Amino acid sequence: MNIIEIENVSKTFAEHVAVHQLSLTVPAGSIYGFIGPNGSGKTTTLRMIMRIYYPDPGSGSIRVLGESATGAANDRVGYLPEERGLYKKMKVRDILRFYAELKGRKDFRSAVADWLDRLDLGAWANKKVETLSKGMAQKVQFISAVITEPELVILDEPFSGLDPVNADVLREEVLALRKRGSTVIFSTHDMSVAEQMCDYIFMIYKGNKVLDGTLDSIQDRYGQDTVRVCVEGNGYDPNSIAGVLRVNDFGRFQELHMSPGADTQHILSQLIKCGHVNHFELIKPSLHDIFVRIARPVVEDSSGLRSVSKEVARA
Amino acid sequence: MRKVMVVAVREYVAAVKTKAFMVSMIAVPIIWAGSIAVQFALKDKVDTNDKRIAILDYTGQIAPAVVDAANKRNASSIFEEGSGNRRQILPRFLVEIVQPGGKELDEASFELSQRVRNEELLAYVIIDREALSPPADSNESHVAYYSNSPTYRDVANWLRGPINDRIRQIRMARLNLDPKVVRAAMQWVAIADLGLVSRDEQGHITQAKETNRIANMLGPMGLMMLMLMSIMVGSQPLMHSVLEEKTLRIAEVLLGSISPFRLMLGKLIGTVGVSLTIATVYLCVAFFAINQAGYGDLFPAHLVWWFALYDVLAVFMFGALFASVGAAVTDIKEAQSMVMPVMLVVMMPLFVWMHVVEAPSSTLSLALSLFPPATPMLMLIRMAVPPGIPIWQPILGAVLVLITTLVIVFAASRVFRVGILIQGKGARVGEVLRWIVRG
Repeated sequence: MNIIEIENVSKTFAEHVAVHQLSLTVPAGSIYGFIGPNGSGKTTTLRMIMRIYYPDPGSGSIRVLGESATGAANDRVGYLPEERGLYKKMKVRDILRFYAELKGRKDFRSAVADWLDRLDLGAWANKKVETLSKGMAQKVQFISAVITEPELVILDEPFSGLDPVNADVLREEVLALRKRGSTVIFSTHDMSVAEQMCDYIFMIYKGNKVLDGTLDSIQDRYGQDTVRVCVEGNGYDPNSIAGVLRVNDFGRFQELHMSPGADTQHILSQLIKCGHVNHFELIKPSLHDIFVRIARPVVEDSSGLRSVSKEVARA
Repeated sequence: MRKVMVVAVREYVAAVKTKAFMVSMIAVPIIWAGSIAVQFALKDKVDTNDKRIAILDYTGQIAPAVVDAANKRNASSIFEEGSGNRRQILPRFLVEIVQPGGKELDEASFELSQRVRNEELLAYVIIDREALSPPADSNESHVAYYSNSPTYRDVANWLRGPINDRIRQIRMARLNLDPKVVRAAMQWVAIADLGLVSRDEQGHITQAKETNRIANMLGPMGLMMLMLMSIMVGSQPLMHSVLEEKTLRIAEVLLGSISPFRLMLGKLIGTVGVSLTIATVYLCVAFFAINQAGYGDLFPAHLVWWFALYDVLAVFMFGALFASVGAAVTDIKEAQSMVMPVMLVVMMPLFVWMHVVEAPSSTLSLALSLFPPATPMLMLIRMAVPPGIPIWQPILGAVLVLITTLVIVFAASRVFRVGILIQGKGARVGEVLRWIVRG
């Protein structure tokens, strides 16, 4: 069963096309990651799913939880917007009760206390929001989105700005939500989070869908066109190796994106000439690499300039 | 509707807990009561310093009479007879007669002016030779009062009496008329200002009560001011709270749980609650104060329910406008400049209320009170002035206000829905109109 079915939906602001003919289905019980550069249309898509924005007239349909007419005020959907805010003068406990009541939950007292304890905020329950740190406020906001255990949870950039400990806490809670039956959609700029957590990944770029599927299926489309190498030697310059389209330098090792048809044996023999090869591994491109390949405006290669549209077409 | 009420309760609690609400609730009556108390306290602390006046009398016949009148006044009417002690409550008027002594009028007048400048005198009067003959036209004057303190009128007002009395006396003597006969013939008759005669339950006809114009104007004015205040106390914080939800990005969280129209409706209901709270407290205080003062029958008790109805409608109407301003702008400065026209509409009744009180049944008053933004205040004023107005008028007014309110709430909710998510820049008027038309 699909929780969300988007068919051929567009959204235009004045002259700017924010989302162009988008189709997407989100299966129940999955964790779906939305990635894409800033301003590519992620938030607009999420807001359309929430019915905060309406698609352009006559541009297609959006069905959420099997209903095409649910308003933004859907009690079965929890929403953490990217631009988050809390009433500064309200106490933490009061604001959570307010949001729980707004979602139609009546027995919220124990739930509020449980969630505050789980996210280590119990001592702050009676403090005003303005006294909280940014990370704490973000956790309060997260609780407000999930306190009613909604069937669908939509989180716009839930992990941004959190320290690793709090990011881990929130990640565990998201996984626990899925275990309890919720479907989770979140947008993120952190590719490793998307790789680790998401069953499906959807990438939008300039309003167009450029990736959609499991991580494996996305990587398979790109094939094993990357080698991860670690070479010691003074004369080593990965950019000078013939057959290498682009280099991602991570310091201790490099990922070499090979041009189509390049021979790995030939690349290895060139590397050996440069120095001592400690590591040579044929790998699938990482999500980070795929993202950069798509989102980098113009990519140079040995044969000159090629536009991003080729990568988009390939995706 | 349940969600609307959740929002309304939060809005009400948030508004009532603010310092601004506490201040307007407690401080304003204290300031009113304080100013009245200060007036009472100052009443007994009048200026009792002697007032010196010089009279340059070219007829030679009037000044001595003024001196006599001043002496008489200084001896009796400036004192208040208390229980056993006599207390001076008004200043003495000391009149000095200046002889012309062959000086030119201008020269003598300049010398007296210098004495006023040197604060030897408060003022001086010049009575010229023609003063005894009746003037050819009423604008002609032969008596002049010169002073350097134009706002202090007590001496000038008092002087009219003795000077005119003496002049009349001389004129009558010249014509051989008996002053007593003339006075009896010319006696001025006062006209009593009464309400209407009515018949009580036993069938007896009750006498009409004396009417008091000032007291009859205070009721309507009080109702108008109370409504104005309850609109402002409710609507201003509403604008700020919408602006807060917009700038702190709370709006989008709320819109994930409730539709924009319901969100605004909830906020408006909360605001109505705030307004009614303040109006109730003030009406109760006013009721007790007026009863304590012994003017209980002046309290417009029969209008309380009309007041409540119009207050609710007015807060919805203006609250929706204030909310849409809060949604259309991005900071408080912009809000203040954009809210000015709305404030002018709210305060419009203040510019015309005097006419409406004086002529509540005039066609202009009827037309003004049926102009929906002004209806709540002006219709109440017209109802509060005896004998009241036909019942169809406040009902028609309420229907027109209701229709206007629905239109404004609908338009405001569209501005609210689009505006509350827009960041970065305030909307231009053209954009706001487009949001209203297109939705």
